[in-house]
Amino acid sequence: MRLIGMEFFKCRRRQVPLICLALIAAQLLWMGVSISRMELEEMSDGWMLLLHSLTVIDAVMLPLTVAAIASRSCELEHRGHTLKLLETVRTPGALFDAKLAWGAVWIALLLLGREIVLTVYCLCTGFPLSVPWGRLALHLFFSFAVSLTIYVLQESLSLLFANQAVALVAGIFGSFVGLFTLFFSPAVQRLVLWSYYGVLALTVQDWNAATRVTHFYWLEPNWPGLGLLAVWFLLLLAVGRSLFVRKEV
Amino acid sequence: MNVIETHGLCKRYGDKLRVDHLNLSVPEGTIYGFLGPNGAGKSTTLKMILGLARPTAGEITVFGQTVNRQNRIAILRQVGSLIESPSYYGHLTGEENLRIVQTLRGVSPKDVRRVLQIVRLDGQREKKVAHYSLGMKQRLGLAAALLGFPELLILDEPTNGLDPAGIQEMRELILTLPQQFGMTVVVSSHLLSEIDQIAGTVGIIREGQLVFQDSLSALHAHSRPSLALRTTDNAAAAELLSRSGLSCRQEAGYLTLPLLSDASAAQLSQLLAAHQLGLLRLEERQRSLEDIFLALTGGKEGSL
Repeated sequence: MRLIGMEFFKCRRRQVPLICLALIAAQLLWMGVSISRMELEEMSDGWMLLLHSLTVIDAVMLPLTVAAIASRSCELEHRGHTLKLLETVRTPGALFDAKLAWGAVWIALLLLGREIVLTVYCLCTGFPLSVPWGRLALHLFFSFAVSLTIYVLQESLSLLFANQAVALVAGIFGSFVGLFTLFFSPAVQRLVLWSYYGVLALTVQDWNAATRVTHFYWLEPNWPGLGLLAVWFLLLLAVGRSLFVRKEV
Repeated sequence: MNVIETHGLCKRYGDKLRVDHLNLSVPEGTIYGFLGPNGAGKSTTLKMILGLARPTAGEITVFGQTVNRQNRIAILRQVGSLIESPSYYGHLTGEENLRIVQTLRGVSPKDVRRVLQIVRLDGQREKKVAHYSLGMKQRLGLAAALLGFPELLILDEPTNGLDPAGIQEMRELILTLPQQFGMTVVVSSHLLSEIDQIAGTVGIIREGQLVFQDSLSALHAHSRPSLALRTTDNAAAAELLSRSGLSCRQEAGYLTLPLLSDASAAQLSQLLAAHQLGLLRLEERQRSLEDIFLALTGGKEGSL
């Protein structure tokens, strides 16, 4: 706990809250534009539209945001040559875990904040008052799980390479891949980490070419998909952590 | 008792053995000067002692305990270190930087102000470290190493990048540590003059091998005076001296032989004259510590 507390202390003035606020603002803007184009009768499907849009927005924005958050925490260790000091008072594994816990807290706060802001915004714009709290909570959990898995990868890259361009390029790559694979089959999506926002989506869009009308439907939670994501998480954690622990400073 | 001992310590990078079967012995309560040219393996050795690099072979004992992955952190609680460049968070103040180390080491918060006073950074404690000069960063690094007043302090090139005043200040500071806090200090440097002024025991490393380890006075004892002479025919003179039972060696146009008494020197000049060998120069020479260091580390031809 002391080590995690120190991570927050170290990351003072590193503008991590600003990164989170920027993401929330961008997503709010995106949703604002989407909602402004909705017909009044479409409002009944509003919550499904929200979760469907969030799947796409998350796939585009979260990989890069997560990369930026991980980089803010890890870059300062390279810049100040602090690992050779820290590793004389704590094991490298404990340092890795503390950064992971720090990242998990920030991602949780970011997604929770985003969910609250968007829910309030949607209610204000005329979405049905019957809020699907359960689905929203589940979506929050799934987004968190995918983002945290991506964070493990980003943290490993940011710690292993002093040049943060490597980690940030991986983040940009993830954003592109995450978006493109949304249009691929589920089998392909399962093979790509960044497309798990789509794998774990709770809604599906059906566009009728004849009537040119779009309908949304709820999907059952994809628990096997979550299980597969857990395998990704454990694999990335084992590889990233052990590479960091073995790295000499 | 030795605070640090290494036995057959090796470190290989690729095909190159950077540290080659090193047997280091650091006595308690001394300032141990770890001397060697750049790239000799000083930092690698110190990093291995601190567990920051894994030895390829050999054993490290600190405070009588063999260091391994399980007990490393526990042993290092009594070790402060400053390896190569200072470690710091530039966006935090000096005091905040020390607060992090103090918390992680689990030492008293009061130590932060105390070590800041010792390194004379108390007046700059609220300034961001990014705005510190290199000398101030170096002193902050030393302050971080001093937190908790450990029994052993390992300082790798602590005067690197400092101006002459900073070097003097750092030197004075290091000199006070064993008496004031009972610390054993290991200081590495590639500068003999620096080690000569602060260390009591010296270890000299050359291409990963320990070529000398003893007290500084023992090193000084190597700087015996000798007699150098130049004649009209050095080869013939060398042969003549050899026949007369005087060992000498030829180097740089001179014959070098052990220092003789005045009477023996007079006899020598007479002997040369008797054999029609003109004496051109006769000088008394003393090898400086610098010469000894260069001879040991291969910086100049010659040996002890």
